[in-house]
Amino acid sequence: MGEPLRVIDFGLSSPLRSQTLWHAVAYGVSQGAPATLSFTRPAAPYVCLGYHRLAEEVDREYCRRKGLPVLRRMVGGGPVYLDSNQLFFQICLPAGRLPAGRPQALHMLLEPVVTAFAALGVPALLDDNGEICVGEQKICGHGAGQIEDAVVLCGNLIEHFDHEEATRVLAFTQPRQRRQTLSLMRRFVGETQIDPAAFQTAMTGSYAAGLGLDVHPETGLKGFEREVVMRLDEKFTSRAWLAGVSRPHLAGSAGPRARVVKVRAGVWTFGATYRGARVVASIVNGRLEQVQVQDQELNGCTERAERALTGAALDSVGDVLATFGDPGRRLAVAFAAANSARP
Amino acid sequence: MAAAGSVFVAGFALVLDRRYEADTHMWVLAQGPRRVRVGMDALGLETSGSLSQLSFDPPGTELVAGRPFGQLEAAKFVGPLVSPVTGTVLAVNDAVAIDAGLAERDPYGEGWLIEASLDGDEAELGNLLSEPDEIVSWFTAKATSYRLKGVIAQ
Repeated sequence: MGEPLRVIDFGLSSPLRSQTLWHAVAYGVSQGAPATLSFTRPAAPYVCLGYHRLAEEVDREYCRRKGLPVLRRMVGGGPVYLDSNQLFFQICLPAGRLPAGRPQALHMLLEPVVTAFAALGVPALLDDNGEICVGEQKICGHGAGQIEDAVVLCGNLIEHFDHEEATRVLAFTQPRQRRQTLSLMRRFVGETQIDPAAFQTAMTGSYAAGLGLDVHPETGLKGFEREVVMRLDEKFTSRAWLAGVSRPHLAGSAGPRARVVKVRAGVWTFGATYRGARVVASIVNGRLEQVQVQDQELNGCTERAERALTGAALDSVGDVLATFGDPGRRLAVAFAAANSARP
Repeated sequence: MAAAGSVFVAGFALVLDRRYEADTHMWVLAQGPRRVRVGMDALGLETSGSLSQLSFDPPGTELVAGRPFGQLEAAKFVGPLVSPVTGTVLAVNDAVAIDAGLAERDPYGEGWLIEASLDGDEAELGNLLSEPDEIVSWFTAKATSYRLKGVIAQ
């Protein structure tokens, strides 16, 4: 007999509880509860920020108008849009059960997901960037974190993805970046239309086998965990928690400003400005795809600059823009700002 | 970037002018009477993966040895930075909070994390590795163990 793998299906949860329930499980596992695999589906759409991300990355005015709660989780990753067409899973283990290296720990926690997809005929792979993909499309978002002495990885089965809304809830300073982000979202974030119950069964089997644990279905949380849920309900709706950790920033700096949005590993957009020069571009595996530039002194050379940049390696834009004089230099600074902020 | 006075041990830079916490790979360097600077060694950073964010408790926060004083994010994995000392946060390194990669490029120099006053028992520092020979032995053994387990590249 192996150690137990507690399996809890929380079913439909409110946006807040779809976060606080599994965070409470992590505190429980840290206090000695068994390794736990849990599932939940948000009953209503909302937006969730990763632990380190800025609240300003979300268009909070739009979310307010639409009645979309904005929450913050204790694990990593960017701001994401969640709704009832996504089934979320969380695997939580005592930290001591995982390898010392984080990349290895992540691999250990993600590989069973790939196995579960494969069991259902989905040709998913865990790529070199740690993304679960079919072809070039990410089919499962994930984030991980250590909460006290437990490690938790959460991810999702994307049965249907609202690319438009997932892009609309993000804040952009340049509308063209929103359009480019939506285009990449449609291309690089995919749906998997399989029976969610079968997915839960396959996930339970693959985690039990992968971690050498025995499945113990349970219907709910332990007393300690229920108390933690109540405390987390309060914490996660507090202004201080939503504001996030204190981080120095470049407010007031005369330097270039860049807004970077990651779509999947190796795929991102950015918008950057520097002294009147404006850049919006899409990056796919280190190369510029869609590029839009603007500078008052380009004097009819805008299209030529955009053509020269399209397909160029991001690291080489300084050379490409060297023939465009002062506006080229300003644009190069804006590109460099984006490069240094790359996700 | 290798700090002045650094040596290479098992393929990683290591400096021997400071103390190390053996489990968490944190270093502690005296900055004056009961004031220290804290950072993470090159091997600890290697096992963390490519850093994307570092955040710290603000100045004035009490530190307890073995408890978190901040968080590190790499590959969408957030985990605690564990304090090697008991005391109070005096300063945080804004440069690494803006550019986490600085901690990887210069772990023993400009990539320091926080400065702290030591409010605990002085004997606490005695729990840290301080003799060059023991530091090199520990670091070598850790690197070897991580390689055998596939945690770091051969």
